[in-house]
Amino acid sequence: MNELTPQPGDDRLDALFAQARALRPDTSAAEYAFETRLMARLKETRPTDSIWAMVSWRMIPFFAICVMALMVWHEQVVQQTEAAEQLAYVENPNAFEAWNSFN
Amino acid sequence: MVSAESSTSDEHLVEATIGGDDYAFAELTRRHKSRVFGVAARFARDASEIEDICQEVFVQAYFKLRQFRRDSPFEHWVMRITTFKCYDYLRKRRRDGPAISADVLLESGYEPSAPEAPSPHPDLERLHAAMAQLSPKERLIITLLELEERSVQDIASLTGWSAANVKVRAFRARATLRKLMENQK
Repeated sequence: MNELTPQPGDDRLDALFAQARALRPDTSAAEYAFETRLMARLKETRPTDSIWAMVSWRMIPFFAICVMALMVWHEQVVQQTEAAEQLAYVENPNAFEAWNSFN
Repeated sequence: MVSAESSTSDEHLVEATIGGDDYAFAELTRRHKSRVFGVAARFARDASEIEDICQEVFVQAYFKLRQFRRDSPFEHWVMRITTFKCYDYLRKRRRDGPAISADVLLESGYEPSAPEAPSPHPDLERLHAAMAQLSPKERLIITLLELEERSVQDIASLTGWSAANVKVRAFRARATLRKLMENQK
């Protein structure tokens, strides 16, 4: 019956359980066309923007690479600007100072 | 698209569903609905409530199918979801109470068209009434162990509780049920 140690009064309970087991509820009417109703509900439940959400998540590595490329490019531009400023100062300090004060 | 042949394995249908084939999931549902309905009917007695539980089970299975690890059969995984959904149902029912009381019905002018026929199984009605008074965990254990004839190990696997825990809970649940039945005399 079950794996528990029997207790006094369990016989009656066990008999009732056996009776309940024998009278298995008939769910055949409820089961009829259940798949159809379920698939209709799934169609409704499925979020319409799921494709966009999925694409957005999948694009994350691409966006991360773009950000890193922008950072590298920005770093290079800053370095080039600084180098150009140093060169300008070496070639003509007075003009460079005047230009800086003007700006 | 996977043809809905009975020879196609559950694993193959799961793969097809993940790949976007909804017909494969409909076939999976067709295969396993009887077991799910059978268990749900042990917890809920109203047809619409049984349908709701079963729909919740398969909707969750559909959306969580990627989380299904192939270390156990699909049926076991679905039964695990069913157990949790039935437990949720019991907890919700306990929290919300009966949907509408008889007093409210009578006050609103409701008159039953015919006197309710006496139950052909009065003892079983008493058993169900006593089981309805158990806590959700107790009722879950008793139903799975005694009505569904699941083993302690099986229940432990379905609920995530340890086997010792299941045994203790089952022992206490039986004791409570016995007391409730004696009080009904």
